[in-house]
Amino acid sequence: MSRRVHRRTLLRGAIAGGAVAVGLPWLEIMSPARRASAAPAAPKRIIFWFTANGSLPAIWTPPSDLSIESHPIHAPLAPHKDKLLFLDGVDQKIAYESIGDGHQTGMACLLTNAAILPGTLFCEGSCEAGMEQYVGWGGGVSVDQFIAGEIAKGVTTKFRSLELGVQVKSATVWSRLSYAGPDLPVPPREDPNQNFNDFFADLGTDPFALEVLRKKRKSVLDAIKDDYTSFNARLGKDDRVRLEQHLDAIRAVEMRLDATGQVGEACEVPTVELPGPDYQQNALYPVTGKAQMDLLTMALACDMTRVASLQWSTSVSNVRFDWLPLILGEGHHDLSHYDDAAGDAQADITTINRWYSEQFAYLLQRMREIPEGDSNLLDNSVVVWVNELGQGNSHTRSDIPFILAGGCQGYFDTGRVIDYGGEAHGRLLVSLTHAMDVPVDTFGVAEHSQGPLNGLAL
Amino acid sequence: MLRATPLLALALATTSLAGCTGQIGGDPPDDGTSESSMCVVDTPIRRLTRFEYNNTVRDLLGDLTEPASIFPPEEEVQGFDNQAAALTVSDLLAEQYMKAAEGISERAVADLPALLPDCDVATSGEDTCALHFIETFGRRAFRRPLDGSEVDRFKALFDVAIDDPDMGTFEEGLALVLQAMLQSPHFLYRPEFGGADPVDGDVVKLSDWEVASKLSYMIWNTMPDEQLFAAAEAKELSTKEQVAAQARRMLQDDRARDGIKNFHRQWLRLVYLDTVSKDTTVYPAYDDGLRDLWRQEIEAFIEHVIIDDDAKLGTLLSAPYSFLNAELATFYGADAVGPAPEGEELVKVSMDPTRRAGLITQGALMAVHAEGNQSSPVFRGKFVREQLLCQSLPLPPANLVIEPPPLDPSKTTREQFEEIGNNPDCSGCHSLMNPIGFGFENFDGIGLWRDTQNGKPIDSTGEITATDSLDGTFAGPVDLAGKLAASSEVAECVSSQWFRFSYNRTVTQDDACTLDEVNEVFADSGYDLRELVVALTQAETFLYRHQVVVEGGAP
Repeated sequence: MSRRVHRRTLLRGAIAGGAVAVGLPWLEIMSPARRASAAPAAPKRIIFWFTANGSLPAIWTPPSDLSIESHPIHAPLAPHKDKLLFLDGVDQKIAYESIGDGHQTGMACLLTNAAILPGTLFCEGSCEAGMEQYVGWGGGVSVDQFIAGEIAKGVTTKFRSLELGVQVKSATVWSRLSYAGPDLPVPPREDPNQNFNDFFADLGTDPFALEVLRKKRKSVLDAIKDDYTSFNARLGKDDRVRLEQHLDAIRAVEMRLDATGQVGEACEVPTVELPGPDYQQNALYPVTGKAQMDLLTMALACDMTRVASLQWSTSVSNVRFDWLPLILGEGHHDLSHYDDAAGDAQADITTINRWYSEQFAYLLQRMREIPEGDSNLLDNSVVVWVNELGQGNSHTRSDIPFILAGGCQGYFDTGRVIDYGGEAHGRLLVSLTHAMDVPVDTFGVAEHSQGPLNGLAL
Repeated sequence: MLRATPLLALALATTSLAGCTGQIGGDPPDDGTSESSMCVVDTPIRRLTRFEYNNTVRDLLGDLTEPASIFPPEEEVQGFDNQAAALTVSDLLAEQYMKAAEGISERAVADLPALLPDCDVATSGEDTCALHFIETFGRRAFRRPLDGSEVDRFKALFDVAIDDPDMGTFEEGLALVLQAMLQSPHFLYRPEFGGADPVDGDVVKLSDWEVASKLSYMIWNTMPDEQLFAAAEAKELSTKEQVAAQARRMLQDDRARDGIKNFHRQWLRLVYLDTVSKDTTVYPAYDDGLRDLWRQEIEAFIEHVIIDDDAKLGTLLSAPYSFLNAELATFYGADAVGPAPEGEELVKVSMDPTRRAGLITQGALMAVHAEGNQSSPVFRGKFVREQLLCQSLPLPPANLVIEPPPLDPSKTTREQFEEIGNNPDCSGCHSLMNPIGFGFENFDGIGLWRDTQNGKPIDSTGEITATDSLDGTFAGPVDLAGKLAASSEVAECVSSQWFRFSYNRTVTQDDACTLDEVNEVFADSGYDLRELVVALTQAETFLYRHQVVVEGGAP
């Protein structure tokens, strides 16, 4: 028999984990006139930042005076502490009413405040009996997608929202944060190399070529829209719903062809250290994450979107932090399961949490460095750190380690620690809609989202 | 047969489908419109997976760039990525379809003679050649002949490019047509409408073209070849015998290897190999390069058994041979018998039949189902229960701290896990997993044989419980593998996995008739996996569907 060598294996060998820096030649993307006309006030942005497996509540809660300079987890955030809000005692109450295991509910309810739909998608072995434990996808629109939809009613940005992932890899209820609606998970963009092209290739193309490209795309999309319309009419009900959704997605792509957005003053094709084709390899987790942060920052600076998320791995993440001085050195999820008394494991979890704080601080710093008129990108935004669990080893979905960063143009009263003593996290989601000027009274399950959290806003 | 243990509700064999998923999308057969006695359950419309898309553009255009690899991963259903009900299209995917089509068309028109070998623009003219391309290429892209209005629509798109001074070339025209075809639902999906005339109640037979695609995506995970197209054209995919003959031919083709490996990667969860990482202070023999070698080993073994050997499930689960190269032979040491292979190429090697038996004792599965620094009777027992017996295990209690025991140099792993199994909070589930997993204790966390651990002898005796026909004790991994290899319960689990993979959907209550039939053929063949695949093409639910009910005309 023949043994075929897989093409990708060869590619991997050639690049061998090396990082490749790519920068497109900077052609003038906007005429001076357009730059000058980009004067209107910078928009508000919201960014969700997900890390997994809970934290260590006993250590996590910072002192009330925010003296975190030598805090075992938060010290890297000290330079930004006046921009931060630490929320204590905010619980995912809905997660305790939903079907599904701790990680599933923690993940699927996190931005939806809705119970998971029943289903048989994720059981191992056969999916029989004991139906109550079998789950489908999340049961409602997530707050990021809701806000993006509301914003899209008034303004068309290049991307309606941007979901970025760092080694998410799988597509299950454990690994999806965003939902376009019940049963409609939104996949993140995981490949920084591809993202670089998707975000910035247009900026690097000369205007004439870009115009021809738009024209071609419009002709093709017009033709295939006709194709879908006549095809869909022949389908049965359920298939037609599915294909209508596909047609809607094509229309959304078409709409974005015309969207150049208001390009911010700091917008330029960034120089990004890209991870190459091995971006899914465990060892490249930090490089891939940093590339995604750099890409995200510039996408926001260029006003390509107002709503974004950066999802580090998935719930139940078992990333191995081999680049950190860990004692046990097992995967993150394995470490998170040790008993409170297991000192080595708790030390490792603390080190991992601190590493994520460093990454968070990096993003905040990058955002601060983007000037927007008299302000900066961070002050015009709110970055929301979310986690599917409170405490990792017992899978609590209470006391989620929420941190808000950035004032969202003065909406939030930052530089504080607030203990909510067991408020529902749905109220936080409501607060976020208010901060983004698309206020709702409740979000998801009304019982667990009665108005915004008190004391968050100025 | 149900028994009264907590698992019992969960440990039904696949043929007893009480409480199973019910309707799988599509048009409900039990809504009063069906009066057919045939065993037919419809599948929602199928979208190509990334794997199928890559294979298809390879066979359609010779494009080897695997453009779909950057698409988002498929939403999985029970571990399989090709399940019709879950494959929807997000904005992101629609955009990636567009960009992939642009890249593919650019590469294709760069080599016009290859794309359009039998029409010379200089002599026949652009219009003639464009029409010729639309008809001939379109037939392969849509896997059926185009109708007149489709040809007109693509010709109109070609004319847009020709008439636009910014484009204006023949190549640009073909490129736009290609892009539109590659984003068409007729390319991205596999629609099945069936014929106009019901054969029984509202059941209609699929067209020959639909059967050709169904066969090729099921067995090859790619588009039909010219022989299948020719058979469809000649209406020679109309009888069960014709379909069986094609299926047998296809299983002899190299493309069947792709499909078989794809199935096993998912059934056996080989994707977990990517994230395997071992503590090299505990396992100095481990390096990350082994992950890919283990994958190559298990894939070569599976391919050989099913395509080149007797294709028996028993062989897959107990054969005393494997495929090794020099590095793997060094890794397995004395377990590999006979002349040591040289170089990087994997060759067939006999394995010590007292230690190794089939794929479950190979490095890939033993290393995946282990901790970073120790073996895991729990993971290994769970694997056997779930993937080989198709049983579901209950979830651990909520808010329970679950941790593997820390390494204890005074005990064996088995002794430590026996303590967990004796804890009343844990014993419910662990009594189902651990006594099976203990059978693999001769293999450490990277799959190397051991007779002792921490100075104590290894005890790899164990017991299978809560099965219909497999209950009993066993002595060590080879004995366990032999029992599993000879079990009809395991065989029926495997056939239900092939069912899900082949039909792109979960098993419903209404599929009991299909499974009974398929399992009978499978058993009669001595559990021949090639015959199982052929049997799946012979089922009524493969060859027929309920008539599409279009409500309210165009949306």
